[in-house]
Amino acid sequence: MKIRLRINAHTHEVETRPNQTLAQVLREDLGMTGTMMSCGEGECGSCTVLVDGTPVTSCLMLVGQAMGRDIRTIESVGTAAALDVVQQAFVDEQGFQCGACTPGFIMVAKAFLAENPTPTEHEASQAMSGNICRCGAHPYIVRAVLNAAGILAQQKGSEHEQSEL
Amino acid sequence: MNKVSFEIVGKGVPVKDANQKVSGTLTYATDFGVYRMAHGRILRSPHPYARVISINTSKAEALPGVIAVLTHFDTPRLNWEAPWFNYRGKVLDGIARFVGDEVAAVAADTVEQAEKALSLIAIEWEVLTPVLTVEEAAAKGAPQIRDEGNLRPSYLFEWGNLAEAEASADYSVSCDIRFPAQQYAPLGRNACVAEWQGDHLTLWTGSQTPSEVKDGLHEALGIPQSRITVQALPTGSSFGCWWTNNFMLLTALLARKAGRAVRIELDNDECMATVKRRHEERSRARMGCDSDGNLTFLDMDHVIDNGAYGFKDDVGFTSPDLWNGIKNGRASVTGINTNRVTAGCFRGVGDCTLSVAVERMADQLAEKVGLDPVAFRIKNQISAGERFRSLEQFETEALQASGGDLLAAVPPDLRDDWPKLFHLSSGSPLPMLRDGADRFRWNERFVGWGRPHHVDGPKHRAVGVGTGSHTCGVETEGNSSAIVRINPDGTAKACCSVGRHGNGSETTLAQVAAEALGLKLDQVEVEAGNTDACPWSHGSIASNTMFRTGWATRAAALDARAQLLAIAAQECFDDVDQAELDIRAGLIGFKETSGDNRQFSVSDVLNLMRGDAHGQTSSITGSSRQPMPPTTTFSRQFAVHFVEVEVDVETGEIRVLDYLALQDSGTIINPQVMKNQVIGGAICGLGYALYEELLFDSETGAVRNGNLLDYKVLRTGDFPPHAKVVFHESHDSIGPFGARGAGESPIAAAIPAACQAVYNATGVWVDLPMTPERVATALAKAATGKK
Repeated sequence: MKIRLRINAHTHEVETRPNQTLAQVLREDLGMTGTMMSCGEGECGSCTVLVDGTPVTSCLMLVGQAMGRDIRTIESVGTAAALDVVQQAFVDEQGFQCGACTPGFIMVAKAFLAENPTPTEHEASQAMSGNICRCGAHPYIVRAVLNAAGILAQQKGSEHEQSEL
Repeated sequence: MNKVSFEIVGKGVPVKDANQKVSGTLTYATDFGVYRMAHGRILRSPHPYARVISINTSKAEALPGVIAVLTHFDTPRLNWEAPWFNYRGKVLDGIARFVGDEVAAVAADTVEQAEKALSLIAIEWEVLTPVLTVEEAAAKGAPQIRDEGNLRPSYLFEWGNLAEAEASADYSVSCDIRFPAQQYAPLGRNACVAEWQGDHLTLWTGSQTPSEVKDGLHEALGIPQSRITVQALPTGSSFGCWWTNNFMLLTALLARKAGRAVRIELDNDECMATVKRRHEERSRARMGCDSDGNLTFLDMDHVIDNGAYGFKDDVGFTSPDLWNGIKNGRASVTGINTNRVTAGCFRGVGDCTLSVAVERMADQLAEKVGLDPVAFRIKNQISAGERFRSLEQFETEALQASGGDLLAAVPPDLRDDWPKLFHLSSGSPLPMLRDGADRFRWNERFVGWGRPHHVDGPKHRAVGVGTGSHTCGVETEGNSSAIVRINPDGTAKACCSVGRHGNGSETTLAQVAAEALGLKLDQVEVEAGNTDACPWSHGSIASNTMFRTGWATRAAALDARAQLLAIAAQECFDDVDQAELDIRAGLIGFKETSGDNRQFSVSDVLNLMRGDAHGQTSSITGSSRQPMPPTTTFSRQFAVHFVEVEVDVETGEIRVLDYLALQDSGTIINPQVMKNQVIGGAICGLGYALYEELLFDSETGAVRNGNLLDYKVLRTGDFPPHAKVVFHESHDSIGPFGARGAGESPIAAAIPAACQAVYNATGVWVDLPMTPERVATALAKAATGKK
């Protein structure tokens, strides 16, 4: 069957079967391999994407459930040549080693910071606990999220100043 | 030696693939494919031990889309061996030795067709009686599950006079500890693509040991190494999981039969239940000291469960070196095969288990003597320059074999700087113990053995310290080489076959090469996975990457640099002695400011050669002309970890509150990479100490929790984000720019630190993993005992 998906502000049409997961379609049919696959049962968060702004493990979402929704993958966040603030914070703190969990962590961090722009260390640490990093970059992941929050707040502050002028 | 300042070494630059990783654009092995490739799936045994009597593939072959079915009738009768005896056997041999063992494979147009075809393969089995534990496997009359038998010959080493020391010890303690099997729980899975062109095989897969994948293909398929190209691609976390794995060889054979490229991707269950795991182990030991707390003896028998295809008869065990105060001892290690998934080397192999037993006994002795754990370690652990007592017999053997010249294997030009064999060359836990105790406010927080420093209802807080050591690469399976090529445009490529799996070697080895060449870091890249480009290297094994392959990389870079300077001296600097020249940030000029400020870029010099009538080449290849001589007899890495835990004595729940990790690996080439190695080791070690245990079915030996839902690892909320890492950089006289090995001692220190902290919080030693249930049970048992 043909399914139409709205991904990263582009419309895609794929020939697939309804029993396919969103993760499979992203990786195998659309070549968006930035969404990683690990556990395949919604436990590790490697395959996290945003669906209407909410983090979803795409290995558990059937492709039919994704129809008509706004899907954002790591490919929409920033490019290797022009990273976004959260990505840059992960680079600066080196909040990863192998990188297999990183796109998932970044998608969760994006959603978390949108909801809670001024998190405490404890809140950030708890919020990142839904995902698994097997290399053990835990403190640097949490610090990256906190640093990104700081930079985003600064940017927002300077926007306010500019608008006041 | 005084610390030298470097241009590139020691800088915490981001890893070269950082932007790719955070943007999801790095191509991992699971992201790779070739045109016209078929998809393979593997048929796995439902029995722990069974022989195939007959196998009928006709229905599977008739299924639309199926291209080939591979059984043991199609595979060579050749044994292959993975590095460090992590596998020994045939690719398929018609005998299943664990639930999940490979039996056959199908290639089809789609994964679904291949999967369906598996269910159509009809097998008549002769079900055999399995041996599921080491005790069963070692019993008299037990079924022998391998041609070589179940038991490997015990690895034994002895030093001093054990009997005398035992008789005269003032205090002695004993232990019998069982260590659970830890699962790598690799994130990101792995895949393999194999393609034949004529009789040449190209294979793409994720591996820490590209050279050894080539060796394995050569052995298992019986084809010349010249007809094999392996391209190792990045993988997710590995830590010993992805070396040479049987499914890779199976993919190559399936592709040959299919006449088409074939890709096999392992699903998560396969990754966690059919590839490898840490050995299940058991330590039975005694240890003693005198009334002042000087250790006098260690007597240890250790058994490791190799699973079906592991073949280890010894594990890395440097604890007797670390505790060099142990004057007399004996240690034996015995490897035993069982009908369970293969066991192999996992980060810190041996030093995460045997050493944990040694640390526990040391702690128990310290308590008896009345010494604090930091002081007890300072009293009994090693300093640079000391002779390794436990290597006594090896030293004697080496002296005899070399006719008294221990440096016989070391080339004359290296002898001046070469450390004394069988003596620790550099580094020590002692300064880190002192420094760490200060930084961690140890004296405030350690209030006595088995006593929490803070009690709030059922919540007891206490601290613990643990020490770990490990080898810095090994030479016994071959000496690692590297090549550094300078391109006509003045950039360079270092070819070092160590794979890419998150340890940052594509960056740290580039830093080594750039420093040696005098180029800027962005002028140097590393090829870490192509066996046509890279000479043989042991790979990322046994903390070899920086110490031994890094040594070869530096040697190759210096060789290339010398060739380049010879050309520059002749062509650009009026035939001066090349020793007067230097390369800095990619520019060649005189070393001293001699008034002659002429400078030529590397590309200028090489481009002069392009039109050279003498036919000089315009690129330069440097190689590590002599392999690094043996180093295991003197080089070690050290870790000292401090942890504060809070134990709820009612629920048994443990929380990690504070953490400090100190590391002595010589010069730190890249502190950003290294802090992750250290903390990553700590977190993996705490995972093993607190949660992680692979469970096996008691009837079949099948893995019961081979998935991330049931196999628990530490999350961000389980570890303090303010944890600190401190480096003690004891310079190494021969390591590349003073660096030694690094990746494996941290995990070995974390585990005993946690065990000791829990003891101090509760007064009870708890076996691994210290789950709430185990802690509560141990506390209840202790309470009953007291009554």
